[in-house]
Amino acid sequence: MGLILLPLVRFLFGGLSIASGRTSRLFGVLALAVDAVLLARLALALAGGAPSVLVVGGWDGGLGITLVGDRIGLTFAALAWGLGVAVVLYTWKDALRPYFFMLLHLLIGASYVLVFTRDLFNAYVILELLTLASFLLVGYERRPRQIWASLRYLILCSLGMSFFLLGIAVVYYHTGSLDLAEISAQIAADPGSAWVRLAASLLIGGVAVKAGIFLFSLWLPAAHARAMPAVSALLSGLVIKMGVVQLFRLSEVFPVGLTFTVLGMTTGLLGIVYAVQTYDVKKLLAFSTLSQIGYLLIGFGAGTAAARLGALDYAVAHGLFKALLFLAVGEASRIVGTSDLRALILNRNSIPTATRVALIVGTLGIVGMPPLAGFAAKAVLGSGLHPTAFHAAVALISVGTAVSFAKILPLLAARSSGRSAWNHIAAYSWLGGGVVLFLPLSAAIVPRSLLSATWQWPAYVEAFAAILVGLGLHRLLRNRPFQLPRRIFCIEEGTLVVLAGFFLVYILLQFA
Amino acid sequence: MAGLNGVTISILLFGIGLLGVIFRRDLVVKLLALGLINSAAILCLVSLGARPDGAPPILVPPTATAIVDPLPQAIVLSAIVINFAILALALVFVMLLVERYHTTDSHRIERETAAEEEPWD
Repeated sequence: MGLILLPLVRFLFGGLSIASGRTSRLFGVLALAVDAVLLARLALALAGGAPSVLVVGGWDGGLGITLVGDRIGLTFAALAWGLGVAVVLYTWKDALRPYFFMLLHLLIGASYVLVFTRDLFNAYVILELLTLASFLLVGYERRPRQIWASLRYLILCSLGMSFFLLGIAVVYYHTGSLDLAEISAQIAADPGSAWVRLAASLLIGGVAVKAGIFLFSLWLPAAHARAMPAVSALLSGLVIKMGVVQLFRLSEVFPVGLTFTVLGMTTGLLGIVYAVQTYDVKKLLAFSTLSQIGYLLIGFGAGTAAARLGALDYAVAHGLFKALLFLAVGEASRIVGTSDLRALILNRNSIPTATRVALIVGTLGIVGMPPLAGFAAKAVLGSGLHPTAFHAAVALISVGTAVSFAKILPLLAARSSGRSAWNHIAAYSWLGGGVVLFLPLSAAIVPRSLLSATWQWPAYVEAFAAILVGLGLHRLLRNRPFQLPRRIFCIEEGTLVVLAGFFLVYILLQFA
Repeated sequence: MAGLNGVTISILLFGIGLLGVIFRRDLVVKLLALGLINSAAILCLVSLGARPDGAPPILVPPTATAIVDPLPQAIVLSAIVINFAILALALVFVMLLVERYHTTDSHRIERETAAEEEPWD
């Protein structure tokens, strides 16, 4: 029951928000409180033994839409809830129209459905709803650059979802079902057929546009960098993860191991290359998101349970510290007046202490400093990656992350003045607490036996080595700027690259 | 088979729509091409559910031996509504851009957004 109440209550509050005017902020708090109760009940049901399963409409298993409240679903629902709390806190004093809160409720309610659903077409509808809500949020302030970024987002995502719909058509034609469990059973019975590969490439190509993979999600840097800080935090922290969760569900059904690892390595390395040479701090965070998704894809593609669960753990960790970074950077940019890193460093003494601490915690999290969030998840992920090539790729991405974030070190070592507003401090503490206390929290996804990877010395050596090598490389590369192609982020080129990406996935799948 | 002809047409339409999104500079034409792509996907889904000599799945005459598959038609309704909403909202955003830049040419808008310095408040 709670599985269907969660999103319905959220949507109800969304509708109430648009009608209510000044009380929409209180409705936000009330919605979060109700969600907390429902999530707690679902968690208790899970702890008691079997996860709650609900087939919407009371149909039999394969006929209706199945919602399963399993561990992974609940953890991501909790992530959605936590980011909702952070955003409501952060924007407490901002003058926001009720329209913003309606979109926020739609976004979080849709996320609740997507993490639990086991039906392909339900996933399509919810992914489209997420696209709608997020593109409206990106264009919320109606600045022309934001509107242009959100139009590009919309066109590419709509194109991707059309691929997804074609994939659904192929799957339905050959299996007669839209339920992931039934499709999985039919594929397991006959894994080599051609339609499986065509369907998989269409479905994965479609979701990849939303999930933040470099070739497909070229809308991401502009959209995440130009949106409001709270919206960027939600997009990078939550909406991308929803695409990733859907990719995870697809990876359990289709034979996509090799494809995911190749895509993961591509996006990890290409994202880092762009992140290293950008001096706009919000673009830096956006490119870094593209790169961190590489960890997740390598983890899903590697096949072992440790790699998969470590990747999901990393997805939650990334949601937390990327949101923290976006919120802190947003406040710093607002105070200094620009998001250019060099100007921020010149004015670094005007950044308040709380923002600086938030930046420090977020940066340490993303470069993988033990024992914070990034390190814990990466250790579990690394323990499951057996071929050395994958391990080397993950290490390379870690080094690259350290190189790209070494640029903001001068910002962190400053003498701060001024105080942040209490609501900003509260939002930072909420997210920062999650980042710092992540090790005990990851026991929610990762079983105790796999968590032992986090207190074995190879993981620590790797983490520190990556950070030190990254710092060293940064010194070497600091005064050698290099040019990278920018045209791929325009609409036409972006569409062509998505097409090329789809063919790449199709070819990769032939080798699976 | 009726289904396969529909699929071929839908792939053609998908290709035409893609060419439209990539090669036409006018934003409104891009959105129309996007609508064409969505319609192509919908056509593919509906025609895969078609059966030769199938009766419509609404009021089935007692002598009917084959009925067209109703599930693709049902899910396509959702897809049509979603695409309609996206098109409407995208057109509003195009209106906002036209108000500001007085053009629907995507290359010009790209150049002008890249050129201006947006102050962060």
